[in-house]
Amino acid sequence: MNDETKSTPANGEPTASRSAVPVWIVVLLLTILFVGAVYFDSHGGWFNSKVYGPYASPEQVQAHQPGTLSAAASGKLVYESICGACHGVDGLGKPGQAPPLAGSEWVNTKGVARLIHIPQAGLNGPLQVEGKDWNLSMAPVGVVLSDTALAEVLTYIRSAWGNKGDEVTADDVKTVRTAMGAQSRPLNSDQLKAMSE
Amino acid sequence: MKNGFRVFLASFVALGFSWCGFVLAPVLQLGTEKQTTVLNSTENYPIQRPGDAALGLQIYRANGCVACHTEQIRQEGVVCQVSLTSLGQNKPEDFKKFMASLLELPEFRAFTNAVAGELKDWNGDLPKAVFPDVDKETANSVIQHINAGGCKAEIRIAATGADIVARGWGLRQTVAADYLYDAPVQLGSLRAGPDLSNIGVRAPDLNWQLVHLYAPQSLVKGSAMPPFRYLFELRKIGEAGAASDALQFPKDFALPAGYEVVPTPEAKELASFLLSLKADVPLYEAPFTADVSKP
Repeated sequence: MNDETKSTPANGEPTASRSAVPVWIVVLLLTILFVGAVYFDSHGGWFNSKVYGPYASPEQVQAHQPGTLSAAASGKLVYESICGACHGVDGLGKPGQAPPLAGSEWVNTKGVARLIHIPQAGLNGPLQVEGKDWNLSMAPVGVVLSDTALAEVLTYIRSAWGNKGDEVTADDVKTVRTAMGAQSRPLNSDQLKAMSE
Repeated sequence: MKNGFRVFLASFVALGFSWCGFVLAPVLQLGTEKQTTVLNSTENYPIQRPGDAALGLQIYRANGCVACHTEQIRQEGVVCQVSLTSLGQNKPEDFKKFMASLLELPEFRAFTNAVAGELKDWNGDLPKAVFPDVDKETANSVIQHINAGGCKAEIRIAATGADIVARGWGLRQTVAADYLYDAPVQLGSLRAGPDLSNIGVRAPDLNWQLVHLYAPQSLVKGSAMPPFRYLFELRKIGEAGAASDALQFPKDFALPAGYEVVPTPEAKELASFLLSLKADVPLYEAPFTADVSKP
């Protein structure tokens, strides 16, 4: 209250006076600051460039990763990179290039041994697929794949595009590969037809 | 001025603080983003827009498309689903009985109705979602039970949100990586028209995009979008016949007899840009399980 009487001192020039800040404002602002800091800590992800809502921390982003590709997804991936070029991504094949796999009686079999032979050994010679005649040659493209990878691709073609075959396991592939040994010549279609499923 | 220096200092601090918040912090956070890979793949993401599409971005900008369209998908949550991939030696009926017994455990009792609904008309097709949307811990524990029973199930992560589920404009939210090669980024703030982040996935046909620019109402009934006729040329069909890139209109849109509509280079570039707008691959920062059932 003393300061107010000093606003016009003797030399006539008014000056601004100092006043005390009420304590309650200070307490209120500090409380708001604290609440804000807690909110930032729990929702801000510490400005990590990989953390977007609804995730609140890098650990949450990591926890919600789908993990390595499922067997179905990696089978599809391998199919699209290796087989799809000729047999088509839609499994319909192309005349002069490769027969269709969708609805093919050679794919939708009960047993899997004969099917495994085709990518493992290659195939030559006339063949009937879904009522149409084909006479092309296929390289042994499956030789480079591991047991699991070839099993996953064959499982994929047996379950995609409406096909109703069950899965091919890596053990099935291994059995066929061991039985075949080091086969260097592609199969003839007569040999394929003579095989049991 | 008596306190001139203090006034200058105060305004410098105020403006500098503001600049740090609006310019410096975002550059430090996102300015060093680089090309990454698609989740669980070696494919690079994003790839530079091809030449036509890069020019199309400038046409998009010049025509003010950002005034009515956005290019950002918002995600509100994430859910985990349990997807059965293999029955092993079991039959579908056995699996349904197994699930019924699993639902008697106290932690899964709440999902009885939802699971019954999912499995009611199931004929054994795989893969099949056998549990409703839950959080990760519950999904993992259901999967452990199913795997122990001789079947195989895996977890599927899916993004949720009005933009994704209700409006079907995308599979995940858009993140900084989606805009890496775009300058300027046209995020938009008003949706008089639909979001365009995935328009290249929803309408991948070049002719559709061009017809939509020339006569939006012919493709989208009741559309409020103005036609962009100046990007095209209406001309008489010459003696050599119709041009190869003339627009193919839907049946009920009639041009004057003997006339065709041909796109200018600007229209083709804009359409190329729209066709290149895709944000449907999973990334580390916006993960989801890519659907393998679709070819």
